[in-house]
Amino acid sequence: MREVMRPLARKLFQALLLVVGVTLISFLLMVWFGPDQTYTLIGKNATTEQIAEVRHQLGYDDPFLLRYGEYLLELVTLDLGVSNASGESVRTLLARTVPISLVLMIPGFVLGNGVGIALGLASAHRRGRRSDRLITALSVTGMSISFLVVLIAFQVLFSTPYGLDLFPVRGWRVSGWTSYLHYVTVPTLALLFVTFGYNTRFYRALFIEEIGRDHIRAARALGASESVILWKHVLKNSMVPIITRIMFSIPLVVISGSLLIESYFGIPGIGQATFEAITSGDQPVLKAVVGLTAVAFVAIQFLTELLCRRLDPRLG
Amino acid sequence: MSRRGGVSLLWIGLAMAAAMWMTACSDSSQDDPVGDQRLVYRHALDGAPRSLDPAQASNVYAKILAVNLYDTLYRYKYLARPYQLTPNLAEGMPQVSADGLIYTIRIKPGALFIDDPSFPGGKGRAVAASDFVYSIKRHFDPETRAQGAWLWQERIVGLDQWQKDGADYDQEVPGLRALDDRTLQIQLISPFPQLAHTLAQGFSAVVPREAVEHYGREFAINPVGSGPYRLERFNSSGAVLEKNERFRQHPLSLEAEGYDPASQARLGLNALDGRVPPFMDRIEVPFIAEDAARWNAFIAGEVDFIKAPVTQFDRILASRNPPTLSEELSQRYNLAANLESGFVHTDFNMDDPAIGYHPDPDQASRNKALRCAIVNAFDWDQRNEVFYYGIGRAFSGIIPPTAPEFDAAQSRLAPQRDIAGARKLLREAGWNPRNTPVLEYGFPSSVTERQMFEQFRSFMADIGYPPDKVRPLTFATYGDYARAYLNREVMLTTTGWTMDYPDAENTMQLFYGANASPGSNSANYVNPEFDRLYRASATMPPSPMRTSIYRSMNRIVMEDCATISGISRTLILLWNRELAMLPDRSFVGGFFFRFVAPGVGESSLRGESSD
Repeated sequence: MREVMRPLARKLFQALLLVVGVTLISFLLMVWFGPDQTYTLIGKNATTEQIAEVRHQLGYDDPFLLRYGEYLLELVTLDLGVSNASGESVRTLLARTVPISLVLMIPGFVLGNGVGIALGLASAHRRGRRSDRLITALSVTGMSISFLVVLIAFQVLFSTPYGLDLFPVRGWRVSGWTSYLHYVTVPTLALLFVTFGYNTRFYRALFIEEIGRDHIRAARALGASESVILWKHVLKNSMVPIITRIMFSIPLVVISGSLLIESYFGIPGIGQATFEAITSGDQPVLKAVVGLTAVAFVAIQFLTELLCRRLDPRLG
Repeated sequence: MSRRGGVSLLWIGLAMAAAMWMTACSDSSQDDPVGDQRLVYRHALDGAPRSLDPAQASNVYAKILAVNLYDTLYRYKYLARPYQLTPNLAEGMPQVSADGLIYTIRIKPGALFIDDPSFPGGKGRAVAASDFVYSIKRHFDPETRAQGAWLWQERIVGLDQWQKDGADYDQEVPGLRALDDRTLQIQLISPFPQLAHTLAQGFSAVVPREAVEHYGREFAINPVGSGPYRLERFNSSGAVLEKNERFRQHPLSLEAEGYDPASQARLGLNALDGRVPPFMDRIEVPFIAEDAARWNAFIAGEVDFIKAPVTQFDRILASRNPPTLSEELSQRYNLAANLESGFVHTDFNMDDPAIGYHPDPDQASRNKALRCAIVNAFDWDQRNEVFYYGIGRAFSGIIPPTAPEFDAAQSRLAPQRDIAGARKLLREAGWNPRNTPVLEYGFPSSVTERQMFEQFRSFMADIGYPPDKVRPLTFATYGDYARAYLNREVMLTTTGWTMDYPDAENTMQLFYGANASPGSNSANYVNPEFDRLYRASATMPPSPMRTSIYRSMNRIVMEDCATISGISRTLILLWNRELAMLPDRSFVGGFFFRFVAPGVGESSLRGESSD
């Protein structure tokens, strides 16, 4: 029992340290370099007393350590306060926006990785041939074009009378599968276009390394078919870095990945809420997003480790 | 991990995914069986309000929504230009005592708040005069974080004292009383001719105390008003308003709204005369800050109205003066060129001894010459051409063209660029490239602001100002920029001022000494003569004499070269031709929503909407 508990306790302690470290650094940055919201909340011709009153209400005049302590307490109790800008409870805001971001990003994320793995495998298998060069060229093209340009181009192409005019330009009025597909298609295609290049290049490199290993040569020598080699030996043995990459992308995809898409397509998810909180200096929202992202990272690290150990017992 | 544990985890994951899906897909508005038959107007805004609490309605976006969700005592006539006040919730214009100190206002009978859980039994009650008293008091309660107190500060007897005494709502304010359920009396400390204008601001909208106390801070997203619309949905992407079926029945009179058949017949408003607004069942207000996205949504027919992005002016306009719509677009859309009710100006920080006031009279005089040279070097035509498509209106001074006191005759003569005059001023005052001070030009970080700075630097180079002595002072956000200039840390501050009401007093106060930073006098300009005239005119009702005083004050500021001013931008408003309406971004603002109506061939206004 002790053998099981000790590493677990060590992991939890490390996770706790990580959360404290991340929150401390991010809070320090927020306090020192973040926008001062006072001057967007005061009225015209405010007096110095009124400015001081607002600063006091925002807690700007409290000692740093006290503010940080309150922040940690908020994270532990999940009592995340209210947005300084809108007055909405941060918990309500997260409950309203995070699910939207998730269902918005999941198709692009899944397809981006799925297509990346498939093309990476094909490219690695046919390394140096015309199809490999074609996939590489497409990947580099996807990586080279700014996401913003892709968004504008896709919007014009799929959603306006200048193009196909098949999907809505923006918005999120989803009440079932049909409307979901209607609203999610263009953002998903844009995300796919931008991410497949990065994913394909990563997975290609990974598979090339795997293909060059001794056990693959041995399998070939024993007469295994190419499909068995690719699917059973190369892909299966690459699962640890694949899982690691996918798992660690999740918090970033939810928060920062959706930021541009949500702003541009008018989708009320957590990315847009975070962007507004960053630009306006709405610290309760920012603190919650940063803190919960840190916790999500730690949890995912923990999960990833469990998964990887299951996939490769040598890691245990 | 056992297989059983894995299966449990799978079920938990599936349950979470289902919950997430249900939350993300919870828009019930599409399930409305009568949805396809309802009239929908879709008005895109180029920015988003953060709060729907009228006490925080400080920007144009918040005001537009506030005056539709709530009632104000007064509003501006829909069609009259120049703008004129008219009663809204009030029964008539205020009765003012002979000394101009006591205002008595009766409110219309039958005004009801919308139904809401904050009321007993969930049934909205009648609006009373005491609700107005409560609503104004909120601005003076620090807990509200209100932004409109400046409108009534040191104006109403006992109100400032009420704040100092702890803002107890049960304590009466002598100058702000409900005489009975429908009669309101305001007693002023000194005459304030602009008072009725302040009662047409979103800030003055009437809120019920029960709702404020019920929702607490979340009142900002749960509006409970008596306006023509009620809120159905609000988030960072947009707002959806539904017609308030209990809104008072008051037929539209085109004549009373200032209808001018000669210029407004094309709008198709005739058929609306005598009908009871609001005319649309639902108003959708998507917030689309990105120019390209806003334009794409408009062209795709997903919104009925936009403020056109400057980047599209080439495509939109057939001519600039006056702005007219291209032939292709005129088949589908209407255009209004709306001169903004404000102006953009660059103030010198007069508190900075390097450019402003100086204890040494000689140096002060040299500084003035330097400022005047900079003003003369500024090329408003180029600024207009490059950044406002040449359709803005440059003028000299601090009284913009939309103010009734604007002096068109004076402003035609200026602002003319005078490079030779500027060089002469510098030379005579002993300035040369070696001894000129470093000019720090502040702006919040953005591409356009940076380009404006570079243009300013090139203007200065034309009078021999060394480019390395004209430096940018950038800030990450507008809030940081505001903090810096309100703390007098920026030498040159460029800001836009949107007038709160059509009275030049609202721009004169920008240079009144007592309003120096952190007040709205960001130039920190102090001129005893200007201040004397400001105080003298402050209690005067509109009159030729007051206009003459304002114009004198305008001259004083310009002669002191305290600001580089200014330009009023022309906004190009486009809307679906199937709508009978006249949009406005100035003083009428959101008040026009209630009058938006389907015109001829209104088929696209029914049914499914965009957001």
